[in-house]
Amino acid sequence: MDIAFTEEQEMLRKMSSDFLAAECPKTLVRELEEGEEGYSPEVWKKMAGLGWMGMVIPEEYDGMGMTFQDLTILLEQMGKNILPGPFLATVVEGAIPILEAGSDEQKKEFLPKIANGELIYTMAFLEPRAIYDASGIELKATKKGDDYVLKGTKVFVEMANVADYIICVARTKESSSPEDGITLFIVDSKAPGVRYEVMPTIGMDKLCEVQFDDVAVSKESMLGALDKGWPVVQNILRKGAIAKCAECIGGMQAAVDMTIAYSKERVQYDRPIGAFQALQHIMSDMWIALQTSKYLVYQAAWMESEGMPCEMEAAMAKAYVNETYKWVTEKAVSLHGAIGTSREHDIPLYYRRAKAADTAFGSTDFLREVVASKIGLIS
Amino acid sequence: MDFRLTDEQLARRKEFFEVCSELERQRPEGFCFSSIESRYDTDEGWAYHLRCAKEFASRGWLTLGWPSEHGGQGTIMDRVLLAEARGYYDVPGVDFMGLELLAPTLLAMASEEIKREFLPGIASGDTMWTQMWSEPNAGSDLASLNTSAMRNGDEYILNGQKIWITGAHRAHWAFALVRTDPNAQRKQDGLTMMLFDMKTPGITVNPLLFMDGGHFYTEVFLDDVHVPVRQIVGEENKGWAVTQVTSGFERSNLEAIMAMQRQLDDLVEYCNGTKVKGEPLAKNPLIRNRLAEMASELYAARTLAYRIADTQIKKEMAPFDASAVKVFSGELQTRLACVAADILGPYYQVGGSKWARFNGHYEKWYHQCFRLNISMGTNEIQRNIIAWYGLGLTRMK
Repeated sequence: MDIAFTEEQEMLRKMSSDFLAAECPKTLVRELEEGEEGYSPEVWKKMAGLGWMGMVIPEEYDGMGMTFQDLTILLEQMGKNILPGPFLATVVEGAIPILEAGSDEQKKEFLPKIANGELIYTMAFLEPRAIYDASGIELKATKKGDDYVLKGTKVFVEMANVADYIICVARTKESSSPEDGITLFIVDSKAPGVRYEVMPTIGMDKLCEVQFDDVAVSKESMLGALDKGWPVVQNILRKGAIAKCAECIGGMQAAVDMTIAYSKERVQYDRPIGAFQALQHIMSDMWIALQTSKYLVYQAAWMESEGMPCEMEAAMAKAYVNETYKWVTEKAVSLHGAIGTSREHDIPLYYRRAKAADTAFGSTDFLREVVASKIGLIS
Repeated sequence: MDFRLTDEQLARRKEFFEVCSELERQRPEGFCFSSIESRYDTDEGWAYHLRCAKEFASRGWLTLGWPSEHGGQGTIMDRVLLAEARGYYDVPGVDFMGLELLAPTLLAMASEEIKREFLPGIASGDTMWTQMWSEPNAGSDLASLNTSAMRNGDEYILNGQKIWITGAHRAHWAFALVRTDPNAQRKQDGLTMMLFDMKTPGITVNPLLFMDGGHFYTEVFLDDVHVPVRQIVGEENKGWAVTQVTSGFERSNLEAIMAMQRQLDDLVEYCNGTKVKGEPLAKNPLIRNRLAEMASELYAARTLAYRIADTQIKKEMAPFDASAVKVFSGELQTRLACVAADILGPYYQVGGSKWARFNGHYEKWYHQCFRLNISMGTNEIQRNIIAWYGLGLTRMK
């Protein structure tokens, strides 16, 4: 047992923290929130130069061949700085499923370009009923000759507005078991019949509605086996949950740090408000929530990294962090007082993102149901 | 980062769990979850505690992680793993005051003579200790205590009142914090830690019954109690520094955390096996949600506890790190108790009788579940420690 980052990992933390602090100031975050693209191509290019998009891609595909835990170190820093953009979508919802389920041709075609920062990926999973399990997948892929035709609507698709490719989770077969009959397709976002519209979400993070209106896809675009796509999706949901948790603990860290710093500056009744015990105890609780969240996430990320089964741990981590991030940011706003509610202040950026994060890759109640089964409650 | 136990540690852990599981089967009727109360309350409970202590001692498990010159074997990690097993099966046998507070303090601060005199009794499980610190006017503000110890030749003469003293009616020896210099400028100065035999004349122990009627707390009156000067720990008037060392040990709280794991496992089994309106309770979505919430929080507590143990072993632990796990796991106990109460419904309130569930353990537990939030530095004090030393906020005057 050695529950600490390695020296190399500490260097990665430091380097990524410094890079993001310099390249992603809050002025840029606001600009990107208001802008159409929602990411900065310049910063994206620099990140590619550092090898970040290829971090978990093996060296044979021009990646760095590092671990999932290393990736979560980056994501934690991204959450801390609020880096808007398609990083998580491209890596976790694009590169990883291609790596896990793709054919040799697909890997050769796409992975080096993802690693180089040339391609942006995302995954279209949720549909208007917003159900996280397999029964939520109704978008039809109908066989037509050698190809397939996609028809249906996806929602909450991350950054589809700038994605080059969308991995669409589609139903290719009706079956008594909803997990059976799901197939993944790699869809060119410029293909005829693909239309997107940005949804005006609380995180201002370019979640999109994507219409697939009789979109023809070749059978070569199929990712993984016909009808057997659900386990791939499950892997992505699990990894995505852990990845999102890593972002969240970074955001919590920032909210805690900013609140403590503010409480040392802000003077009322002739003393810094941080000298009042009523506020000290709230800040201690915020810090405790951060500590408990951190190590839960680190453990889940480590298990995932080691290839250990961790469906329960990932669900526990996300179910827990969903709540702690919201609570910590709510307290952060409160302790800042009126200024904390201002559009101009940085704290609400975190408050809004905490809410945005809690439905990604599984809401609290959905994940608690996963946990309930895993701890042995019969269903 | 590596959360894995080595094969050797896993084997040790398995052995600890097997032995504690066997000891659990030997426990006397009425010995409840709250082994702190049960071990001091009844003669049967106390005899069971001593029996378990001897069993652990015979295996060398009371000295895990001690230096070898004092009979130590194994590692501090082994001690953590044994704490898990003891917690899961709620097995007594470890005198938390003697073994977890005093022994490491002696190892760190005491003279060789004191170590040689007192460590063997702790290691063999023969000498049980009580910690005599709090006073009626010195609880969280411990340094305000005023039990006096006046030097008289080779002895101190103690006079005063101690309160909330756990198990003083059972213990063989005590380690007390007393005032040796009433004229010291700061209240933290002029205190001394000393050891004395509970058979020393002048000691009166009265019961202070807990709200459930259990007898583990006591109040102790010291009237002209003679203590040899050589029985002090550390230096005279430097007792405050000794208390800081004592408070720094054994902070991962894994024993309490694993006791909760057991409760959770038991509740899952209960919900699977108990039908309401023809359906197992386990299928009730509200119960599933709440137990899953508890399981997640418990896992968070456990992971952080391992982190604390890891930093403690590496000697990198900051005191406020341990405060986080203490506050969180302590308050989780009360949350879990409330969830359990809701699941058991009206039966939660029933003690040992034909109507009781889980032999009435939970009825007992509802009284006990927040004890940890008050003892060993209240959770409010822990939050102060985090705020002042961890977050750098202004210290209260």
